[in-house]
Amino acid sequence: MKKKVKLLKMVIVLAAWVLLAPGAFAQGQEVPTLQIDKTSLNNGGVIKVTGRAPAGQPVYLEVWAADKSVRANRFDNKRDPKTGQIPYIFYLTYDMPAYYKIFVPADQKEKFAELLKTGKNWSYSEALKELGAEAAYNVPAGMQIDSFKASLMASVIGSRGKLLEPLSDQENKKRSMQLVKSRFKDLDKVMGSDVIVNPDGTFTADINIRTGLAPGDYKIVAVTGDNVKSSPAVFENKISFPRVYLKTAGTSQNILWPFLLALGVTIFGVLMGAGGGFILNPLLVSLFPLPHTVVAGTVTPTVLFSQGSGIYNYSKIKFINWKLGIGIGCAMLLGAFIGPKLTELITLDQFKFAFGWILLVLAGLMYWQTTAGYLSKNKKEQAILKEFKRRAEEAAKAKQ
Amino acid sequence: MKVEFWGQEFEANMIVGCIGGFLIAVMSSMFGFGGGPFMVPLMTVGMRMPMYIVVGSSLLAIFFNTSMSSIRHFQFGNFDLILFLCMFPAALLGGYIGPQIAKRVSPIVVKRVACVGLILLGLKLLGLY
Repeated sequence: MKKKVKLLKMVIVLAAWVLLAPGAFAQGQEVPTLQIDKTSLNNGGVIKVTGRAPAGQPVYLEVWAADKSVRANRFDNKRDPKTGQIPYIFYLTYDMPAYYKIFVPADQKEKFAELLKTGKNWSYSEALKELGAEAAYNVPAGMQIDSFKASLMASVIGSRGKLLEPLSDQENKKRSMQLVKSRFKDLDKVMGSDVIVNPDGTFTADINIRTGLAPGDYKIVAVTGDNVKSSPAVFENKISFPRVYLKTAGTSQNILWPFLLALGVTIFGVLMGAGGGFILNPLLVSLFPLPHTVVAGTVTPTVLFSQGSGIYNYSKIKFINWKLGIGIGCAMLLGAFIGPKLTELITLDQFKFAFGWILLVLAGLMYWQTTAGYLSKNKKEQAILKEFKRRAEEAAKAKQ
Repeated sequence: MKVEFWGQEFEANMIVGCIGGFLIAVMSSMFGFGGGPFMVPLMTVGMRMPMYIVVGSSLLAIFFNTSMSSIRHFQFGNFDLILFLCMFPAALLGGYIGPQIAKRVSPIVVKRVACVGLILLGLKLLGLY
């Protein structure tokens, strides 16, 4: 008897499945298709995408750099409106695609323009919701994100803090959106409204790939409003020397420009008696799409060599007081241990803001060095300096 | 602390020097510059040392700072080898050409020009124009 009931149940379930499933397929499970007009680009260009989706459905295109990923991080120090506490959590991923953009139907253009007006305070999750593009947001949601509980003590010893438990899928998706924002900064870099959807379900889009992006394969997937995905179309972005790919920055760059910039700035730095870093850093972050962490981390070792040769030249004529230099040097070692950690915790805007003030203070110092009082004092000191140098050189010569 | 330099003795206030040096190091390593223009006033004005001791010794102190800062930035993955390789030769070349030009221009004019340039750059970073 029991067996019969079980069998009956199975038959009913099976019948229901057979009857209902094709209906579901017919109603919206039709898979969209898409084609692209070329398979390779030379440092950016326009890719024409055409395809077909079920009639009446909105179509979203998700485009990303498939084989170049970069680091993205964000320090969450905003007060949680629910609990009233500041989380102090540092989120870090190495899987962020070097390029990521979602294209929404062109009839959303006005809504999109409205969102662009929010300026720097845009929220990615809200923009996706507003434009109905949540279904198209897939690739970054699967990134591996590490989260660290930062504390004052951890920052002092220069650690990122305690590694927290892996995030749940939902939390991972939410945090990944914030990381996309912190990485790409502007809404129009990660979203566009260029997909023209016709009433019969066909769609076209001219996808503009900017110059200066990562080389390698890019993928395009069409997603319908019902969350059905097409198979990906692949194209390659090619770059050639002197344009090279900067791994940590995730962009490609004509290397002649940083070279000429560094040359000009170091010459001027020598003339004004200050290292080039003061001018080079702000110019690099303003002119090129480089993250401020990479700029700070790469310019620092650049000046190391010139400092070393300076020390060697001064030591040859015995013009260094080792006790004084090493004494203060030890205090500076501690400071330099902490500083680079702090670079990660601030955003590009905070970096620019603080650097702006530092430059104004430096300008004040420079001006002070040209005032009459300073100059007359300096004249005396320079004379002594010269005299000592002469004696030192003579002493060095006498030894030989 | 007593410091001897070419037969003369000076009294150096190491408390001011170390606290100031520490703060300058945090700031300069955070933003990626050398810190020389801040160290020299700290040592001449803050510690009352004469200029001729300061030039060499401040460079030594800054060298400690820059080395540690480079190591730490490297650890955190902030170092881009290719960007470094295209700026490093430029820095060497600039260090060679710079002193040649320095002999021919007035340092006061250069500093005044730098002053204007720094103010413009600073205001731009602050987003004022």
